[in-house]
Amino acid sequence: MTEINEQLSSLIDNENVESKSLDALIHDKEQQDVFSRYHLIGDVMRNETALNIDISELVMAEIAQQPSLATVTPITATVVSEKSDNNVVSFMKRFGQYAIAASVAGVVVMTSFITSQPTLENNGIEVLNTVPFGGGVSPVSLQANKGQSKQALQDRHERLEALLKDHQLQLQVQP
Amino acid sequence: MNERDLDFQLIQRIQNGEQQAFTLLVRKYQNRVANILTRYVRSSGDIADVTQEVFIKVHKSLPSFRGDSAFYTWLYRITVNTAKNYLTSQSRRPPASDIDAMEADSYDGSDALKSVESPESIMRSEEIKRVIMETIDRLPAELKAAITLRELEGMSYDEIAKIEDCPIGTVRSRIFRARDAIDKQLAPLLEE
Repeated sequence: MTEINEQLSSLIDNENVESKSLDALIHDKEQQDVFSRYHLIGDVMRNETALNIDISELVMAEIAQQPSLATVTPITATVVSEKSDNNVVSFMKRFGQYAIAASVAGVVVMTSFITSQPTLENNGIEVLNTVPFGGGVSPVSLQANKGQSKQALQDRHERLEALLKDHQLQLQVQP
Repeated sequence: MNERDLDFQLIQRIQNGEQQAFTLLVRKYQNRVANILTRYVRSSGDIADVTQEVFIKVHKSLPSFRGDSAFYTWLYRITVNTAKNYLTSQSRRPPASDIDAMEADSYDGSDALKSVESPESIMRSEEIKRVIMETIDRLPAELKAAITLRELEGMSYDEIAKIEDCPIGTVRSRIFRARDAIDKQLAPLLEE
């Protein structure tokens, strides 16, 4: 005990501020009492005390009821969490670009099918559509109107180009 | 090393969540804070309450303490501001002039307290002071010199060693033996 109190004495004088001595002092109430009395001796010698009070327990009890400094620490955790959310948002943005591209492609395919459906103008005869997206091949039917077919292909090309332009514009707008 | 080292280490521990370290700051400075408050607060009962309020404020403000000034200077400012707020709440005017942190240390608040302090608490304070001073008087000369140079002159162990012409280890031992001798008389008195 004598050795511990000697370390405590030099710690008070800032001649031995070792973390080991501090650890012992912080967790040992008996040493804290000695710490208080050693300080009281100095205060009385310097005439710096008119009252001898000990409010340490009251203060610590009051502090225990308030949000501690440790609760400030989760700010870091929140930041990490936000970072994590940002990753998700980033992924969603990227995924969204693919979704837009896929939906545009889907619209092109659907438009192509709709415009090539048999109509009453074909005299009620069903025509098997074998024309690929690029066009260039006529339907397999002797009754097919060549002029109409060319016009339809022209329209389809225009719509396709318009859709592709729109798609490219959307990709440029995406961050 | 300077006086700030222990305080800063304690503050760092508190800022890292080791709340128990705060009790050491309270134990170290509570009597000095109470002494400053005697200039503003006339009731000894209120002094304990306002001292408690000061340390609660200090604890709340510790996350913003950056160590630009010594902890005691910072504590002193909070003490004076809390005292002034107390006087405002009591509808009293603060003193016309403030004392600064250095003057506060040498300010003897005992006269201010005597007008309102209970006879028992006056006797107790006087008894504590008498026991400490009488024990110092009875100490061997080398112990008395060591504790006086340290506590009254604020000298480091190295400076005392040069003056006393002895090793630093001897200075450390003498100061401890002086404190230990005083503490043996003081501890039973405080337990009463």
